[in-house]
Amino acid sequence: MMMAKETLYVLEAQHITINFGGLTAVNDVSLQVPFESIISIIGPNGAGKTTFFNCISGFYQIDGGTVLFQERPINGIPTDEIADLGISRTYQNIRLFTNMSVMENVLIGQQPRLHSTCVDTILQTYRNRREEQQSIQKASNLLEFVGLSAYADDLAKNLPYGAQRRLEIARALGNNPHLLLLDEPCAGMNPHETAAMIDLIRTLRSDLKITVVLIEHDMKVVMNISDSILVLDHGEAIANGTPEEIQKNQRVIEAYLGTGTDDLVEKYSQRKKKAAQPIGEE
Amino acid sequence: MKNMTYKTIQNAITTGIILIFFEMIDLTSTLAIILEKLFTGNSKVKTVTPNYLIAVIGLIVFIAAAAFTNKNLTPASKISLPKKLTAGLIFGLITGGMLALLNIILGNFLNNGVDLRKYLEVLSPDVIRNFLFQKDIQSAVMIFFGTSVAGALAGTLVMHIFQVTGQPAGLWHSIKKSYGSFQQQQHSRRNQLISRSALVLLVIFILILPLIANAYTISVLGLVCIYAILGLGLNLIVGLSGQLVFGYVAFYAIGAYTFALLTAPKPLGIQLSFLPAFVIALVMSGIAGGLVGLPIMNLRGDYLAIVTLGFGEIIRILINSNNLTDFTGGPQGVKNIGQPGQPAFIGNLLGAPLKNNVWFLYLIFAVLFIVIYVVFRLQYSRTGRSWEAMREDETVAQACGVTTSSYKVLAVVIGAVIAGAAGAIYASRNTYTGPGEYVFMVSVNVLAIVVIGGMGSIPGVLLGAFIIKGIPELLRDLESYRMIVFGAMLVIMMVIRPEGLLPVKRRRLSVKPESVESLKENFKS
Repeated sequence: MMMAKETLYVLEAQHITINFGGLTAVNDVSLQVPFESIISIIGPNGAGKTTFFNCISGFYQIDGGTVLFQERPINGIPTDEIADLGISRTYQNIRLFTNMSVMENVLIGQQPRLHSTCVDTILQTYRNRREEQQSIQKASNLLEFVGLSAYADDLAKNLPYGAQRRLEIARALGNNPHLLLLDEPCAGMNPHETAAMIDLIRTLRSDLKITVVLIEHDMKVVMNISDSILVLDHGEAIANGTPEEIQKNQRVIEAYLGTGTDDLVEKYSQRKKKAAQPIGEE
Repeated sequence: MKNMTYKTIQNAITTGIILIFFEMIDLTSTLAIILEKLFTGNSKVKTVTPNYLIAVIGLIVFIAAAAFTNKNLTPASKISLPKKLTAGLIFGLITGGMLALLNIILGNFLNNGVDLRKYLEVLSPDVIRNFLFQKDIQSAVMIFFGTSVAGALAGTLVMHIFQVTGQPAGLWHSIKKSYGSFQQQQHSRRNQLISRSALVLLVIFILILPLIANAYTISVLGLVCIYAILGLGLNLIVGLSGQLVFGYVAFYAIGAYTFALLTAPKPLGIQLSFLPAFVIALVMSGIAGGLVGLPIMNLRGDYLAIVTLGFGEIIRILINSNNLTDFTGGPQGVKNIGQPGQPAFIGNLLGAPLKNNVWFLYLIFAVLFIVIYVVFRLQYSRTGRSWEAMREDETVAQACGVTTSSYKVLAVVIGAVIAGAAGAIYASRNTYTGPGEYVFMVSVNVLAIVVIGGMGSIPGVLLGAFIIKGIPELLRDLESYRMIVFGAMLVIMMVIRPEGLLPVKRRRLSVKPESVESLKENFKS
């Protein structure tokens, strides 16, 4: 694990391309994620952000390019092995194990770090009991960390919306990930909840040394916490840089507001000029 | 008000149709016989007495009218008693009229000498005479009207009294409330003690039962336990891991046949003793489970059901095949299957050895307890949680690190081994086994046990096994109507309690969290 720290990037996506039938959903997108950074991916609806996530986390087989996780290619590896390597993710439409308790959800997240077999379980060996005890303790700690201790024994489906998002993060932390992919963590939250979520993401980095890549529509969140931002539009990367650079980037403004703006801006400024001219001076 | 009239007529017609249906399948006579048996205590009643038939019809109308009043003429709707009684009267007149119409037609056919058995086997002249209460048509019609009006009025009135006093409902609510508070404080020491001692008493009762029960009860109990074992195995596959496996009977058959062929003198003549044959039967069904599991690793839902359904049929056709008679006994099955001898110490301890069927029932209990223990351990472990996560959302479970393909195979293998154990015990108990015992209906029954009991719940499966295999035995009086009554029970249960009778309860797992520092430590390593 210490070796891993010396590499420059925790994740390098190189020239990722994926086609669905005739549609190129993600076209030649590259992303480099340095250790302990927070990277945001933004873009209009249908830009291919979640598809890009699915490519990184092994949900989709990519048609071109490579994904390197700690300098190791991971394309084509099944998702359970990717979780084992230390990549976790959450989902845009919350996908919890709804009929299981909150604790059990977090315990499932620890699956790659547990080793007792079903024979151990049946015979109740010392190894099995110790491991079970430790994993339950760790799950309780994780719930405390995301602030859900009060809900620990409730059914996951009975949690309020914001708490469900936090639970997804707690579950994703179970395998001690190096990289956490958050798909719209603040979607549908009120400003208060959003602020709490920003704090949580910051502590993920500062306390647990986790690198975070997130997709988010809320520009306040994105500009607030990102070290750098990747902007996608129609499956292509149109900009990549710090929040300040992105805010000024002409192509990003076009992608979000449309190309008509140039003319509008010009007309508006000319009219302003005219209005400013003193009458009768022509 | 118009709406209420409409509803009264609608409900009355429905009741009438149900009653006509009951008559056409002659269920009313059977019910009348049961009623007479209950009242007189005479268990040898064979023929219908008209008075009891009247009572049955009155009772059915009474229940229907009471249910109708309870649902539609609620206190909230503020309908006065006379209006309620009018509704009851209309209700009774309509049902009575429908029954009377049916019986006028049947009676006229009877009087004109038309033999209706050509169209519906049940309708012999005797049965129709019974329908007419052994009287002429006019008086029978009067009785029909009288009975159903009286029944409907009584039903409305009784329900009205219930509504005014609020009594049985209030009592029921208070029972429910106290049970609820008991459940909530389940973790208090006193309540834990109560539920534990209740469990111990139940187990002691079950252990003593074979000694005092008669041969019939022992045989039914044995069958129920064997199905409980099967249910626990399928519960692992369907209830916990969520894989819809239909051909579960195949593993049962493999266990039974392996054991049978290894211990019977014919056709193979190996004649092993009980224990090695039992172990080999478990291993064989486990291997079969693995072989089925491998190709279905990446199948989901419907496809899995179809593939396993095919597998079940293949096994049944194989053991039924004439060409394999030298290996499997063919359609005749296998006779003289070995039984385990009773250890001498039991005889020494009790003074005399147990009767063979009692000893065997204890053996079945032992296997059942071991299976319950294994399933319990697995369910509340990382393995069981992974299975449940797979059932909830397979894609996400895999992304959380659950190796879904191997967990699927593991579930099928363990489930198959449990079915093999049930099969071996079953074959040994009957000392005979044949292909006719391993039909698709067995899979359906076991699946019903799991669904009715509550997916993934061990007490649920035990209760389900009793309901599916025990209740039909208790309903012997209804004989040919067993399946109808049974089907109706299933439908009603699925409407009222779709999650099963004893749905699984989540365990409390949380412990006091430690400081963030320990979590940081965790992440460093």
